[in-house]
Amino acid sequence: MEKPKVATVWLEGCSGCHMSFLDLDEGLADILAAVDLTVTPITDFKDYDFPEATLGIIEGAVGNTEQLEILHKLRKKCQLLMAWGDCAVFGGVNTLRNHISTEALLTRGFIQTESTVDGVLPVHQELPALLPQVLAVNEVVPIEIYVPGCPPSPEAIAHALQEVLQGRIQRMPSGILHFD
Amino acid sequence: MDAIANISLKIDGIEVMVPDGLTILEAARQNGIHIPTLCHHPALSAWGGCRLCVVEVDGAPRLVAGCVTPVRKGMDVVTSNDRIIEARRTILEFLFAERNHYCMFCAVSGDCELQDLAYEYQMDHLTVPPLQQEFPVDPSQDDMVMDHNRCVLCGRCVRACRELVGDSVLDFQNRGGQSLVTVDVSGQLGGSTCVSCGACLQVCPTGAIFDRYRTHYAVKGKSKDWVSKESFCPQCGLLCPTVSVVRRNSLLRIEGEMPGREPDRGQLCHKGRFDPVKTTGPRLTEPLVRGDDGTWQKSTWTAALDRIAGGLEDVRKNNGAQALFALISSCCSNEELTRFQQFITTCWPEGYLDTLDGRHFRTLLGAGSLIPEVPWATMLEADFILQVGVISSQSHPIITSLTRRAILENKTKVAIIGPENPIGPWASFHLPASHEELLLTVNAICIKINPDLATDPAKGTLSHVGTKGFADFIKLIEDSEKTLIIIGEALTEIGDSAVIKRLVDLAQFKSHGASQAPRLIILKPAGNSAAAWSLGVAARQSARNQLKGGLICATGEDGWDPVLIGTPGNLDFLAVLTPYFSETLARQASVLLPIPTWMEVDGTYAFADGSGSRFKRRVLTPPPGVGSVEETLTALSGRISTNPGQPD
Repeated sequence: MEKPKVATVWLEGCSGCHMSFLDLDEGLADILAAVDLTVTPITDFKDYDFPEATLGIIEGAVGNTEQLEILHKLRKKCQLLMAWGDCAVFGGVNTLRNHISTEALLTRGFIQTESTVDGVLPVHQELPALLPQVLAVNEVVPIEIYVPGCPPSPEAIAHALQEVLQGRIQRMPSGILHFD
Repeated sequence: MDAIANISLKIDGIEVMVPDGLTILEAARQNGIHIPTLCHHPALSAWGGCRLCVVEVDGAPRLVAGCVTPVRKGMDVVTSNDRIIEARRTILEFLFAERNHYCMFCAVSGDCELQDLAYEYQMDHLTVPPLQQEFPVDPSQDDMVMDHNRCVLCGRCVRACRELVGDSVLDFQNRGGQSLVTVDVSGQLGGSTCVSCGACLQVCPTGAIFDRYRTHYAVKGKSKDWVSKESFCPQCGLLCPTVSVVRRNSLLRIEGEMPGREPDRGQLCHKGRFDPVKTTGPRLTEPLVRGDDGTWQKSTWTAALDRIAGGLEDVRKNNGAQALFALISSCCSNEELTRFQQFITTCWPEGYLDTLDGRHFRTLLGAGSLIPEVPWATMLEADFILQVGVISSQSHPIITSLTRRAILENKTKVAIIGPENPIGPWASFHLPASHEELLLTVNAICIKINPDLATDPAKGTLSHVGTKGFADFIKLIEDSEKTLIIIGEALTEIGDSAVIKRLVDLAQFKSHGASQAPRLIILKPAGNSAAAWSLGVAARQSARNQLKGGLICATGEDGWDPVLIGTPGNLDFLAVLTPYFSETLARQASVLLPIPTWMEVDGTYAFADGSGSRFKRRVLTPPPGVGSVEETLTALSGRISTNPGQPD
């Protein structure tokens, strides 16, 4: 039987969730024996023409047009989506900027910072534009499995993967669920 | 009184018998059945705001809040099924979505009732989009921060402030999702009428109110490493019960015992809750001896003790034993006080032994040797409270709180004579008498009540005597059945025994003769003053002029001893036993010996009213090498000749 394909993407996040995934140590071997990892942040695809996958995993919230596009593509190509971490699940620390307009935010960051001389706003057709607000992934597309945590513990990630590999889609159990 | 009838009902299919009048929540808890709550707190009135406690009654389609619905005979209650769980989880999602609850940078993550409920109900995502609305943060106060982004509007803080503390500083402003807990009239905590007691902090189920001390993860660690230790606070004679949260011998916080068994309802004051966790300067962990160049040098215990014995012996040889003194803080436990007294009477019987607050004792002594008092808990029984010289916001904040509650709950009238007092705006009368006017004012009152009480006719006149306000005030005393007089430390400090004598007589007169104890409370300056004075540690005569050298045992951090250490003239030698390096003490001292803090010793402490005492178990372990006061004094007395010859 063909192994299920898994794609993981890194949107507006700190890579902490992927680090927590790597923190599974020898547990990684079991997971890699059970699935085919197709796309990950390490494969560094630029065109994001994802192959079809059984499970798409998202780290990070949605804060710009590129992340929005990736998420929509991932949804189209994957049977199931799993959100990793507080950023993907709730918006996380990125939502701090939701109380500030994008203009004010960029002006402060690229022009007004104390160390900046002759700053300019990064506006270019090649650069993705910021969305007015940072969104949790389930505000954009439907999500099947949620693994919150900042970062989610390796145990939580392993549990979620094992459950979905065995065909169960459930809420995170109380003993494993954590937000911090 | 008729016994309350028991009624039977079914909870989760189990037949239970509970007293009529209970709520469903109380009935369930009595029978060990879990119903989650958030706005409900056992020390506060029921609120019914959060609806986390919804249950199904008789299969009705509408769920009811268990915390406010009374039980009824034959009721069939279901506390948990899919529908109820879904409802509770949805409520939690709304709470999380309404404000900005981000656990990863919250000071109370891991110790948060909202978070615990979200875990319990497996709220692993939100089905409603977060509101993303910014709310204010109020960091204007020294002890606590109020972050409205984490507030769930459960109103516990509002109820605690009103029901426990009687302060009503907190209330709600605005409506719906814009509602905010407000301080005074839309003010901030800093500069408000808040007394920093932290009752709101203790009952807050989220990180909306958090304290500024020891909240960092590096300090507090994970809640699984915490140990809660029951004790009490000996900083004043009310001895409020406390629960100290400790991690690896490091104090994280102190909480009141809620729901409280005593009339203070489990509240603590700012001293009891926050002072012990504040960083108060360098801890002394080994003896320090002043070198020849005037700087402090670390020393061994042997060398330091020898130096003290030698220094004091020199003073005795040069000036006689009557030039030696021994002063001890009245914050010390009975055991420490007794050992200290024993030490001085053995080593230098002619020496001067006193407590640091001895002058308060001598003022009271001038008014009569044994002044009986009533327990402070009787404050809530009085119909009129006369406070004279009370600065209770400093030494006995709980007395201020109980006074406010007496006014609010029992319509007790309160009159204040003396310095400005936080009760001022609540009182029926405030006579701002200066020290010089106190005797005249009290005399004027006594003459009006019963001319026999004023044995010494008042000289001079006072502008407020003879006004309508004063006449009303006298009428209140005359009409009151249960007048309670509280004598504050501002009065004992100025040393006017005559005023105290008048007040004691007035209390006796109003208590209708000697058959009843006069309704009188005397506030003592330090936590264990009552014991220190009754044990005879405080001197009956002040004799400081001829003192040349001695020993001081100070318990608290610098500035804690309510009475400043007076400079006993130009000293030849001074040794100080103290837990902390204190500039005030170090200026005069030649040797500093470390002792444990009050949190680090087992000890007995007396109630201020003399009604008994409590044994306190230590909450922390002293630093290695720091022995108890008793051990240090034993080691020292072994070095002092108990049979000294005459001065050379």
